[in-house]
Amino acid sequence: MRTGLRSLFGIIVFILLWQLLAVLLDKSIIVPTPGETFGLFFQLLLSPVTLLAGLQTAWKVLMALGLVLLLGLPLGLIIGLFEPLYDMSRPIIMVIQAVPVISWLSLVLFTWGRNWQGPVLIAFLSILPIAILTTVSGVRNLDKKLLEMARLYQVPARKIMHDIYLGSLLPFIIAIIDVSLGQAWKVILVAEYLCGDSGLGLKIFDARSFVDTPSVYAYTLLAVLLGIITERLIKMGTGRLSKLWVPV
Amino acid sequence: MGARLEVRSLHKSFGALSVLDNWNLSIRESERIVLLGPSGSGKTTFLRLIAGLERPSSGEIKLSSQQMGFVFQEPRLIPWRTVEDNLLFVNEKGDISGILEKLRLSGFAGFFPAQLSGGMQQRVNLARALLVEPDLLILDEAFSSLDLPVKTSIMKDINLHWQEKRFTIIAVTHDLKEALFLADRIIILSPAPSVIARELPVTLGKGRNFSSPEFLHLEGQLLDIICSASN
Repeated sequence: MRTGLRSLFGIIVFILLWQLLAVLLDKSIIVPTPGETFGLFFQLLLSPVTLLAGLQTAWKVLMALGLVLLLGLPLGLIIGLFEPLYDMSRPIIMVIQAVPVISWLSLVLFTWGRNWQGPVLIAFLSILPIAILTTVSGVRNLDKKLLEMARLYQVPARKIMHDIYLGSLLPFIIAIIDVSLGQAWKVILVAEYLCGDSGLGLKIFDARSFVDTPSVYAYTLLAVLLGIITERLIKMGTGRLSKLWVPV
Repeated sequence: MGARLEVRSLHKSFGALSVLDNWNLSIRESERIVLLGPSGSGKTTFLRLIAGLERPSSGEIKLSSQQMGFVFQEPRLIPWRTVEDNLLFVNEKGDISGILEKLRLSGFAGFFPAQLSGGMQQRVNLARALLVEPDLLILDEAFSSLDLPVKTSIMKDINLHWQEKRFTIIAVTHDLKEALFLADRIIILSPAPSVIARELPVTLGKGRNFSSPEFLHLEGQLLDIICSASN
């Protein structure tokens, strides 16, 4: 309760400072007032077009995250299990990790132009190395003594994978989701802004084109709100998942 | 019936470090053998060789075992699985409730390892080994971290189970009382690179008692042998 009140107080202080800055600058094109921004924000919330844009962005985020989990986890598992494969793939992973988002954006624009696949691909590529390397760390942290016990009792590979590998890797999988989700939101918004054909990023791009700063702020607020909601929903899901394996 | 084991000219080294040197040993069906030796004398290495977790550098191990149970020094239980699931992990068709009852673990099937004491975790470790209906039970300093009452109680359980099933037991320890409580024959090792220094048949009956004159006499004898083996 006390923590909640403190957070609320922090938000109120932030809005007051924002208001003060807006009044002092008196330039709506740079800092619109909170009243103007929130007014527009609630208007946008009621607009089906904006809600559709929000859903389009959220869908791309979830698709990128899903693809990363679908490909990154098995890849990380295989690479983690075989040392030579890790040595071979490490430079490639490092290169993918080091390539700036802007370079992927350029490549996507040259290849496809503005479409929905570009942002998904860029987000996928920017979080894939995190997923692979985190899974590799998880595999390397596996309790070798448990594996030796399983080997001694000739436990089938399917059971070893389910009971030992999955259980050991679960905290790492949850960490991947936690880290990747925030990253995916930011990358998707930037990618939509620069090479997308739909979503909140494109809405921000349109608002900027019309020098509509309050709308830029309002769309940003909406993106933040959607990001928080998605994160909470996914955390609820991962929490339930972890309870299946980890003792209370 | 228990498994038989024949060991001929067994050597094991790790790089330049020689651990086992020319071991020759025969273990009969249903015999209870305890290997007694100082730290680093290769006791655990020998058990790992029998279990196929290590390969000999030279020599031969002939084992007739079809199914082995291994009680590790540390429980090696899957932390995110209950006692029941840990047992199901090694044998889905085993009599879990029966083994839990025999080892006084009834009522703990739904507990996670972290919710159990060290002694109870070690009982689950033993239950897992017995659940596979072994013809060879290997005990790798299985009670070293337990206090005497818990240790004695688990050893009594093993002896009771042995009387019923007659599997072969190979155990390692550096505890004299433990060795005398469990063994039909004690094999005394020299420090590394270890050789089999002496063997001592244990002529105590079924109901072994730490304070009986026979037990104390054998304990003294064993102590003398160990001192001479170390020199």
